[in-house]
Amino acid sequence: MTADREIKVDYLARVEGEGAMYLKLRGDEVQDLKFKIFEPPRFFEALLRGRKFSEAPDITARICGICPVAYQMSSCNAMEAAAGVSVGGQLRQLRKLIYYGEWLESHALHIFFLHAPDYLGYDSAIEMADAFGYRVASGLRLKKLGNKIMSVLGGREIHPINVKVGGFYRAPTRRELDALVDELEWGLEQALETVEWVAGFSFPDFERDYEFVAMRHPDEYGILDGRIVSNRGLDIPPDQWPEHFEETHVEWSNALHAQRIGGGSYHVGPMARYSLNHAQLSTKALMAAHDVGLGRTCHNPFKSIVVRAVEMVHACESALEVIDGYVKPNRPSVPVTPVASTGHGVSEAPRGLLYHRYRIDEQGLIADAHIVPPTSQNQLSIEDDLRAYVPQHAHLDDERLQWELEQAIRNYDPCISCATHFLDLTVEREES
Amino acid sequence: MSRLVIGIGAEDRGDDAAGIEVARGLRNVDAVICLGGSLDVIHLWEGWSDVVIVDAMKSGAESGTVKRFDGLRDRLPTSSFVTTHALATGEAIELARVLERLPPKLTVFGIEADNVDLGAPMSPEVKEAVTRVVAEIDHA
Repeated sequence: MTADREIKVDYLARVEGEGAMYLKLRGDEVQDLKFKIFEPPRFFEALLRGRKFSEAPDITARICGICPVAYQMSSCNAMEAAAGVSVGGQLRQLRKLIYYGEWLESHALHIFFLHAPDYLGYDSAIEMADAFGYRVASGLRLKKLGNKIMSVLGGREIHPINVKVGGFYRAPTRRELDALVDELEWGLEQALETVEWVAGFSFPDFERDYEFVAMRHPDEYGILDGRIVSNRGLDIPPDQWPEHFEETHVEWSNALHAQRIGGGSYHVGPMARYSLNHAQLSTKALMAAHDVGLGRTCHNPFKSIVVRAVEMVHACESALEVIDGYVKPNRPSVPVTPVASTGHGVSEAPRGLLYHRYRIDEQGLIADAHIVPPTSQNQLSIEDDLRAYVPQHAHLDDERLQWELEQAIRNYDPCISCATHFLDLTVEREES
Repeated sequence: MSRLVIGIGAEDRGDDAAGIEVARGLRNVDAVICLGGSLDVIHLWEGWSDVVIVDAMKSGAESGTVKRFDGLRDRLPTSSFVTTHALATGEAIELARVLERLPPKLTVFGIEADNVDLGAPMSPEVKEAVTRVVAEIDHA
């Protein structure tokens, strides 16, 4: 006898933006699984064509209200690579600082408002705030701190306007950065407390043998630039991205799914960064990870919340180091003269590797643009997680299974608004 | 009483820019634009005693319909406001209510959106509603 079981959720809460998932089960066997993303036409890539190379940071920042700095930095890196220019010294330090601000605000949003309710059994942060008012208020203050850093360097909190190809329009004064120190010191202590708090949650016993992909820099925990590496031997400069990764169309989604050429799904984001570059974390972040028993690598996606908290510690401590060593540069940017060329740029958005490629013509106009956000890269990995998770948990009732599947999707902090709208979750069961 | 208008929305997404366009159109009152998700209103309104929020919403009404809420007295629909981000405006306000972080006075204008697709133009009805809301706030 075969009986169908079906779960439908029209709206998946607590993800950035919306998308859809369909799951069909027969007993504990997955018959069909599709993580759908309804990506609008590649609006921004089209918008960029014919625009000046210098406009890319401001235009791409509009793609996402949560991670505009990531789009700015990857586009700057690509444009500077195309022009053969390198941005170093204090300007590079300032870029890291604004990026730490973005990690902090994005991770605080996800940890406290989107993901923690899953572990504590609440439907939303509003319900959680009754019993965990202190935590929610701390999350708000950490997020505000991240926004403040972005505002001091970027001119405004969201969609910073002070970032340009070659550096900044204006460099902050020493005093402006010093004004962040007290709150960053509070943030560091609060982030350490957060690591302990979230490490105490209960985590499903689930691991997968991921191919982690992240940037690696010789001198620091990769965020701004570096080579693209994986735990399966990949080690390439950003301009070799097209030789190792491809995007494919799938029938059920008009979004592109990124995959390793010949290698299937891969995983980008905090767990990939942590597992590949663990030893380069700031001292307190490393100690915090050790103290809660996180290990040198992390393969349980439900523990990504702990890794994000560890990265908040790293962001605060590293931001304080940048401020401590800051000397206002003589000029806020280096000159960039465009040449007809193709430039590739990557950086580590809060959700993982963000790849940009631009072809520039001899007038400095963008002839072609290509952007691959982290969530597009994680789509297949999300599907693979669900495919592996479901058979082990098919005995759960529909409500509980749905809860855990939504949580499994949220493990990736999917920023579907970068690439899509509405997420429906449908689970169909056939019991044999 | 210090008055602040917060226009919430997303650029490049058709009628979702309604709140932003209201904030940009005001002449007689302080206004800020909130693009990064509604949660930020809780710190944007710190120190202000009379706060007005304007956002696009989808409640099933005719496009361009304007609804006005008293943020302190009314319980806002948590799912009606358009959001391309994690927490909708109604949720952010409810969260602030639980945390006792609401400003002394809070008014919310919801402008009914039609098309919020990426790259869509703003619909004529919403443009007209933006003009009406600007006039109402500016002359209040």
